[in-house]
Amino acid sequence: MKTMTLYREKDSPIHRIDPLTKLLFAIVAVSTSYIVSNHVFVLCVLTVTFLILIAGKVIKYILPVIALSFLLIASIIIVQGFFHPDRATVLFEIGSIPIYKEGFSIALLVTLRVVTMISAFGVLILTTKPDDLVETLVEKGLSPRFAYVLLSVLQIIPQMVALTGKITDAQRARGLETEGGLFVRFKSFIPLLGPVVLNSLNETRERSIALEIRGFNSKSRRTYLHEREPYKFGLPLKIILVLFLVTVIVWRVVS
Amino acid sequence: MNRKSMWSLQFSTVALVLIPAAIGINFLGKLFAELLKLPLWIDSIGTVLSAMLAGPIIGAIVGIINNVIYGFTTSPISFVYAITQAVIGLVVGIMAYKGWISSVKKAIILGLVVGFIAATVSTPLNIMFWEGMTGNVWGDALFAYLRANDNALWVASFADSIVVDVPDKVVTVLLSFLLFRSLPKNVKNMYDNHGEIEKL
Repeated sequence: MKTMTLYREKDSPIHRIDPLTKLLFAIVAVSTSYIVSNHVFVLCVLTVTFLILIAGKVIKYILPVIALSFLLIASIIIVQGFFHPDRATVLFEIGSIPIYKEGFSIALLVTLRVVTMISAFGVLILTTKPDDLVETLVEKGLSPRFAYVLLSVLQIIPQMVALTGKITDAQRARGLETEGGLFVRFKSFIPLLGPVVLNSLNETRERSIALEIRGFNSKSRRTYLHEREPYKFGLPLKIILVLFLVTVIVWRVVS
Repeated sequence: MNRKSMWSLQFSTVALVLIPAAIGINFLGKLFAELLKLPLWIDSIGTVLSAMLAGPIIGAIVGIINNVIYGFTTSPISFVYAITQAVIGLVVGIMAYKGWISSVKKAIILGLVVGFIAATVSTPLNIMFWEGMTGNVWGDALFAYLRANDNALWVASFADSIVVDVPDKVVTVLLSFLLFRSLPKNVKNMYDNHGEIEKL
C-alpha cells in the first residue's frame, strides 16, 4: 500500500532533532518572513531553510511540493507584475508588454515568502515520522483519543481509495456513464460517492465498537510502546528560535 | 433521555471515528472531481456531511484536521485554509441543526450562505499571505482585471474568492445533502446529539 505521507527515511542529524523543535522552527521561519517586508531578510531565512534541507538529505523531495504551488506563484508574478495599481517604473519589457518594477518587487517578495513557507514546513514534514510527532504531542498533553483520530486518517484514506476503484468498476459494469457532457459527469458523482460514503459510515460503527472493547475510553494513564531518548539539544535550539523571533518582532516594532 | 446541546464537547467514540472517515470522504470527493474532470474542487463534502450528521463542533474539527493532514501529505499551503474549512463545518452544523437541510431549495440557500462565508474568511487570508490571489485561473483573471482598473485590493480579492467559492460550495452542499438524504435512519441516528437513541 502506498504511504500517504511525504516523510523520507534517512539517517541525518536533522532527522534526529525532536519533532517539536522542528515544528517551532517552521512556525518561527514563516512568521518572521511575514513580519519583515525585506527581500534580503526573507532570502536569508529561505537560504537557512534550504541548508537545513540539504543537511537532512531531503532537498530533492521539496521540489515537487513547491511545483504543486507553481500555479499560485506564476499567477502572483503575472498579475502583480502587470496589473499592480502603483505601476510607474518600467523594469523591462517582454516583447511590447511592460513589467513594472513596483508590482514585480511585491511579486518577488510574496514568491519568496510562499517558497519559504513550503520549505520550512518541508523540514518538519520530510524529516519527521507522523507517528513520532503525534507521540510527542501526546507526551505534551494531547488527548490520546485525538492522537488516534490524527493517525488513523493516514490509514483510512488508502483503504478508501482502494475501495473507490472497485466501486467505479462495479458501477461502470452496471452501465453508469462516467464520460460525456458536464451534466452526465455531475450526475455520476452520487452513484460513485454514495456507496463509499455509506460503507465508510457503517464502518465507523464497527470501528468504534472494536475501539471501546480495547479500552479506548479508559481514563487510566497511558504508557508508550517505544521508550525514546530525549533529544539533547532540544532546549537550547528552542531557546535560540524563540529569542530570534522576539528579536525580529522587537526590531520590527522599533524600526 | 439525556439531551445534549449541539455544542457538547463530550464526543462519543463513534463521533470521533467519524472524523477520519469524513476526511477520507473529502479526499475522495476531490479525487472523483478530478477523475470526472469537473471544473470545481469539491473537496469538502466530508466536512459538510459530518457537520450535518454530528453537529458544528465535529464539523469544525474535521475541517481543521483535514487541512493539517493535507499539509502533511500534499502541500503545506493548505495549513493556511484550515480556518476556512473549520468555519464551513461550523456554519453547516449550526444551520443544519436549525433545519436548513429539510429540502433541496433550503440546501441550495445553505450552499450560497456557506460559499459567501467561506469567501469572506478566505479573503483576509489571501491578502495576508499572497496579496489577494487564490491560484485559480478564473478567479485570478478577474482579480487582474479589477486591479488593472484600479479597484481596491480587498474588492478584487473578495471577487476572486467569491467566483471560485460560491459555485463550489453550492455544488458541495447540494451533493452532501443528496448523500445525507439517502442515508438510512440507523446511520443518521448514530451520531445524533439531539437525544441518545443508541449508545455505543
